[in-house]
Formats: sequence, structure tokens, C-alpha cells
Amino acid sequence: MSKIGVFICHCGENISATVDVERVAREIGGMEGVAHAIDYKYMCSDPGQTFIKEAVKKYGLDGVVVGACSPRMHEPTFRRACAEAGLNPYLCEMANLREHCSWVHEKSEETTEKAIDLVKMMVEKVKKNKPLDSIKVPVTKRALVIGGGIAGIQASLDIANTGHKVILVERDPSIGGHMSQLSETFPTLDCSQCILTPRMVEVAQHPNIKLYTYAELESLEGFIGNFKAKIRLKAKSVNYSTCTGCGACIQKCPVKKIPSEFNAGLGTRTAIYVPFPQAVPNKPVIDRVNCNYYKRGACKICEKTCQVGSIEWDKEDEIITEEVGAVVLATGFDVKGTDFFPEYGYGQYKDVLTGLQFERLASASGPTFGEIRRPSDGAIPKKIVFIACAGSRDPAKGIPYCSKICCMYTAKHAMLYQHKVHDGESTVFYMDIRAGGKNYEEFVRRAIEEDTVNYVRGRVARVYEKNGKLIVKGVDTLLGGEQVEIEADMVVLATAGVANCGSEQLAQKLHVSYDPYHFFAEAHPKLKPVETNTAGIFLAGACQAPKDIPETVGMASGAAVKVAALFSNDELVREPVVAVVNRLAPPLYSTCVGCFMCETACPYNAIEHEEIKGRDGSLIRTIARVNQGLCQGCGTCVAFCRSKSIDIQGYTNEQVYAEVMSLLND
Amino acid sequence: MKKLRDRAAELLSQGVVSLVIGYEEGTKRPRPLFCRNSEGAEKLIFDSHCFHNLAVYITKKELVGKERFAVTAPISTLRSIMQLYVENQLSEEKLLVITVDLSGELREFTTFDEIAAYVAQFELKRGEREQEILSKIEGMTREERWKFWMEEMSHCFKCYACRSACPLCYCSKCVVEVNRPQWINPWPAPLANMEWHINRAMHMVGRCTACGACGDACPVGIPVDLITRKMMEDLAPEFGYVPGQPAKQGNALSSWKLDDREQFIR
Repeated sequence: MSKIGVFICHCGENISATVDVERVAREIGGMEGVAHAIDYKYMCSDPGQTFIKEAVKKYGLDGVVVGACSPRMHEPTFRRACAEAGLNPYLCEMANLREHCSWVHEKSEETTEKAIDLVKMMVEKVKKNKPLDSIKVPVTKRALVIGGGIAGIQASLDIANTGHKVILVERDPSIGGHMSQLSETFPTLDCSQCILTPRMVEVAQHPNIKLYTYAELESLEGFIGNFKAKIRLKAKSVNYSTCTGCGACIQKCPVKKIPSEFNAGLGTRTAIYVPFPQAVPNKPVIDRVNCNYYKRGACKICEKTCQVGSIEWDKEDEIITEEVGAVVLATGFDVKGTDFFPEYGYGQYKDVLTGLQFERLASASGPTFGEIRRPSDGAIPKKIVFIACAGSRDPAKGIPYCSKICCMYTAKHAMLYQHKVHDGESTVFYMDIRAGGKNYEEFVRRAIEEDTVNYVRGRVARVYEKNGKLIVKGVDTLLGGEQVEIEADMVVLATAGVANCGSEQLAQKLHVSYDPYHFFAEAHPKLKPVETNTAGIFLAGACQAPKDIPETVGMASGAAVKVAALFSNDELVREPVVAVVNRLAPPLYSTCVGCFMCETACPYNAIEHEEIKGRDGSLIRTIARVNQGLCQGCGTCVAFCRSKSIDIQGYTNEQVYAEVMSLLND
Repeated sequence: MKKLRDRAAELLSQGVVSLVIGYEEGTKRPRPLFCRNSEGAEKLIFDSHCFHNLAVYITKKELVGKERFAVTAPISTLRSIMQLYVENQLSEEKLLVITVDLSGELREFTTFDEIAAYVAQFELKRGEREQEILSKIEGMTREERWKFWMEEMSHCFKCYACRSACPLCYCSKCVVEVNRPQWINPWPAPLANMEWHINRAMHMVGRCTACGACGDACPVGIPVDLITRKMMEDLAPEFGYVPGQPAKQGNALSSWKLDDREQFIR
């Protein structure tokens, strides 16, 4: 018969104020198989733990139940105490008498009875518990960073500086991301490129960083410490080992009218191109969709121009495999285009811009070399209207969240405009001004007070074109809902920040969860902001939610520390709460019949095929096997298995059944 | 018929296969025939009365052995074979499937895709009996349906003929035999019967190919096949499957598609 020890905690008065803890201990003490039952004021304290340790030795306990707080709080504490007394830690279970009972009920007879039931269930479960050993898995000390914006750059540098190898994968031909497109940054107005480009160069030159630009993740297999990443290196059509980056090919390319992605569609680029002059690597790629040769089979002017013969027409995409131990996702965000807004002209008015396009206008490296000019006629706008919350905080548009950065960059835009066009007049329509952050509120006040930006609290209902002017019809809610009409020369929409295109597919490749807006989901909104629910995959920057540069950099360093902490171990220790497929003596081998329904159900790709072979090497059966490194113990496979051949260690069918039956058999 | 016998004899005598599973004349209706030599092949028949689902034998290792074997299969059996492929129970190298098409010509298949292409021509339709009972059940309220099935199931004495006849019930240990813990009470009683039949139905979701073998096998005439058939009919369009066309896209309960029209799962 079992010898179970039961320890009921008062938790100060947290439990004992509503539960008659002495009665719980008394009644449980009378249960079959319970050798010892006591209550104590603070079970987690040193004397409390000593009670447990001494009882394990004195009564030779083969199971321990602690009726106290949530196992999230103190299960490790009590399991350690048991282990110190020589009992396998997984023979210790907790009944949650605080969160599940005393905190949620009034003091009454029933509350105590519920507490007794909760303890009773765990006693029945512990009787079926088996000793378990923690799982050890080796760690590959190399990190994969996906996305080469400021988040990816920072995370890569931080990890590389701890002495570990980093593989940085960027989808575009150059790293730099959105930050390289920005003009000046709030709240200090320092030039974005001036602070970013040195970091880009550092990445390219760092001995611990392997940079793959124009590349995308194809698939990720494996588990924490042991991932296998397949990376697609898109064909650049240019041999980077011989190309000198002289740029002659770009000059001569006859296809010149392609809208430039870097300039947010305001400028043009050629078919063989470098996204921007400060690009890293500063070597061109051929855009095969627009190149004359790939389209029509003739041209090859770049090849004739190239002095070193670097053009490779027949180069195909290459897929390489890298083994890594951790992954940092830093794929960033995107902004909605002006075409998303029927009320602001569906994107058909050339002088209605997004904030990102305005950044390009204001940037010294932009299409107008930093002069604010209308895309339609090149004139300098004398009246400009900024509309904050364009799409954001608007459930009707499907974007109920705040994009967080717009208040600040709109103030910055207005300020830059005032600095560049001294006789200009700028108006900002806003809902609220959200300037939480160091020196942020001061920055907005400066825009309003020193740079005389006209802030109007209200929404803009419509923007339409009339005689070359943009008529902005809005309302000023601070003046009692008075109608405001402005004849503007340019309108800038602070369009909502949204998840980057392809983020949903990427999340599915990585088995990372995402929110309804396709931003990647953190493991805990407060306490695990850089972890994902998939062990070994971390988040940095705006792929998790819109955020500004300081926050992104902070998060990237946070993710880097998590990776470094992971790499500080040679082996990882995991809880043995994983699924196992039963194994039996021959000729059965297992009750698993190998239908692999579990494989189709497993969200973590943890089900493998195990071939059972006879002595002569012939295949007897193929059954399922659980990869213990990948398994997260969710139990979906258990629910799927028709023959009940698969079970979760520590939460077996038998244990859970015993728990339920202890209630039903009352 | 002659073509089939000749081909079977040829396959066996040339050693291409070691066993042909087919039909022979029985007392009231055709019965399964296991021929291991060319003489046995003389007894083979194949006509519209041959509806016994022979797929039930092809997962039995002790019967089919390690060598390559052949099975003659009408449409319903072909469907079962496809589902068995989906569930990793068959190997394409080991199985040769023979059927006789509408024009009387022999057709042979060695891969899932070949069978799928052939079966795609045949729409799964309800027979008279199925139509009659199902339309009656479809007209009932929830309570009436429960009453109907409780009444039907009360006749069950747990002989498990439905399980034995089903080609997809190939587990070496069935859930009713699991006793740690004992999920389903083993005795025949209204509630215990319902436990078994609900479990059986749930285990067939997204898998049943509506061959009707279980209902055919029931000695007390419970239309058990209609539960799983109706579930399949209801489920297939919701999940984008064609009823009676098993597809290699996982199980209805576990798989989902990126372009799923339901948004809640995203």
C-alpha cells in the first residue's frame, strides 16, 4: 500500500481564513494510503520544508502532496525539498488550495469540502505517479537571426559579442530595414542613417556574424538547442566574390522606371540595383521580374559593362542548411498604404502620402535630397496636414490597437517641415497625443510651442482634390465639434503599423503563435516578453507589436541575453513532462499501430517514425516515437490516439482518471 | 470473369504475388477466397454481389505474410484501401489491387494516386436502405434521435462484429480492451453500449469511407454504419473533402489549411 504524506499550508491566513485547514489535514489523514498528514502556517518556509524532509525519512513516504498555493509558485520548492530527502521529485504534487479555493470562495463548510476534494484528487494521482528523470539535450551554440533591421542588427551584434556565432538572414538585398529609410529620429532629431550605418558595417565585418542577404528561411526543423534551418539564397545574378560594387552596371541599365522600394515608391530604380547608396553589402542584385533579359531574353547591357564578368544569368536559388541552437525573430513591421483609405482618396491623390513616404522626402538621401516637395508637381507645399491614427485605433478598419509610434513621428514630421519650410503652415489632426517615453512629451510640446505646429483634436472625415488643392474636411472637438476645412498642398497619413507581409506563413514554419493581427505572440505579456511559446525561439522588435527604435533595441538586447544564457549551458535540462509511446515485449513491441494520426495532430512536429527491425534487419513494424526535445507535453496526441498507446509522463491517462474517479466515487 | 481468373493464375504461377484475395460463390452470397496457387484462381468470381469488404484482411500480417499479394476490389473496397494508405497501413510495393471496370475490363493499380484517379469517377451515393433510414432520422428532433439510437443500441450485446468487419479497425489493442484505466465498461447494458458506440463513431470521424461493412455484420441489425456514414457526409463538405475520396491531407480533426474559410482558427 502507498505511504503518502500530505502537508496542508495555511499560507499565513491566505488559505486558513476561509478553509478549515485542520479539518482538511484530519480527514485526509484518514484516507487509505495516507501515512502522515499535517498542517502548518508556512509550508514553503525553512521549518515547513524541514517537516516534509523529515517525514519522508521517518515514514518512508513514497509520495507527497502539498496543499498550498499554485504549483507555478512553489512546485519547484517542494520538489527540491523531496529530492533532498531522497524522494524522486516527480512523486511530489501540489493541490492548489489558494488560487483554486480560498481566494475564490467565502469562508464556509463547502469551501473546506472543496479543499478536501482537491487534496483527495492529488492523493489518488500521486498513488499512480512514477519516478521520472529530467531530460538532457545538447546545445548547438550558434544563433539564427531572421531580419536585418535594427532589431536583427542589434541582436546579432550582442550575441556575436558574447563570442557565439550568428547567422543573420535578410530578405532584401541590403540590411538596414525601416530604420535606414528614416530621416531624423525623435526625440533628439539625430540622423537615422548616421547612427545606423556604422552598425550595418559592423555586422558585415564582425568575425562571428555570417550574413545572408537576399535570403529567406525555407523551413525550420528541430527543437531548442538543436534546430536545422533551411535557408533559400535567392539568386542575385551577380557573383559577389568578384563584384567590386563599382556601380557601372547600374548606370547603364536601360530599365530605369521601377518604383524604388527604399524610397517607398517616390523614386525609381533600375533592374540591376543597390537599394540605397549606403547598402550593406554594397553590391547589386538583378530584379528578375523587371529585367529585360529575363523578360524578353535580350539586353545583357550590364554584362557588357561589367569589367570583372560578375553577371551570372543562369544562377539558380540555392538552399543551404545551417544548424543552430536558438532563433531570434526580428522581421519587423510594415505600414498600411494610402490605398487602404477610401475616405482619403484610395491612394489616387499623389500628394496624399504615408508617414514613411514623408520620411523619404525629408531624408537627405531621398528622391528630393531632403527638400519637401509635392510628388505631383514638385512644388514646395505651403500648407500641410498630418492625420494621426490613420487606421489605428479604428475597429471598423480591423485595427483596434494603437500603432504607438505615430504620435511621435507626426510631431517630428511637422517639426522637420517647419524647419525646412519657414513660411509653411502645418496642422496635425489627432485623437490623443501619446507621448509616453523619456523626453517624448517635451518633444511634442516643442513642436507645438516652438515650431508653432497647429494641433487640432479631431478626426478628418474626408480628403478630396479640387483645383490642385487637397480639401481636408475635419472637426475640432475641443471647439465644440466645429467643422474645420483646410485647403492643403500635401496630406500625410500616419498609417497604421501592421505585421510584415509573410509573417503568418513564417510563424507557421516556426510553430510560433501569433495574434489576430499576425504579430508574433510573446510567451507572457509581462514576464516573458521576448520568449515565444516555442522554446528556443525569441522575439525582437516590431514583429511582436509596433514599437519605436529605443524599445526595439532594448528588446533585441534582451533576446540576445536570452540566447547567450541558453548558450551558457552545454546541455539543457527539461522537465520530463513529455509524451511517450508505449513499448512492450515482442511480438507486440507496442500497441501503436503506426497510423500517425498523432503526427498530423502534433503542433510541434515532435512525432517521428520508429522502425522496429528483427535480428535479420527486416522491418517488423513502424511505430510512432516522440522526440523528447521537441515535445512540449500538450497532450493533443494523447487525445488522438485511438488505442491509447501514447501518454504524457506525469499526466498519464491512469493518473488523470484516478483524479476524476476520486471525485465521482464519493 | 475469365480474364480475372487467368490473370490471377498468371500472377500466382509467375510468382509475382503469393496470394490473391478475392471472392468465390458462397451459400447465399459470395464469400472471400484466399488463393495461393493457380488452381485456386479457377474459383474466382467478381460481380455486383461481391460487396464484402476484403480490405479488412489486408492489414492482417499473419494472413498476407511478407510477400507481395493482390486483392480484387470493388469501389467500396478501393475507398477503404485508399484510407489505409493515408493511415500508413499499406505499402505500395507490397500490394497489387485488381478491379473490373464498368466495361468488364481488368484494371490493376499499384499506387494510391492510380486508385484515387479511378475512384474519382464514382460519386458516393446513398442506397435505398440508407436513404430510407437516414431521411427518417434527419426528420427527427434531437430528443427523438437520442431515443431512436438508445432503443437501437439496447439490442447490442457487444459481439464487436462491427469492429471485426471494419477495415479501418486495425488497432492491435482496441480502446475497449484498455483497462488501465478502463474507459469503457465491458458489459452489455444501455449506457455501456452507448459508451462503445460513441467511442467507435468518434474514432471513425474523418476516416469512414461508408462501405457499410459494420452495419452488414451486425447480427441484430443495428444500422451502425449510418452513424459513421452520416458523420462523413456532414463533415466532408465542411472540410473541403469529397465524400468517399480519401485524400492524403491528414485527418479532418487535426489538419487545417491556410486558405480555410473559417477565420476563428487563425
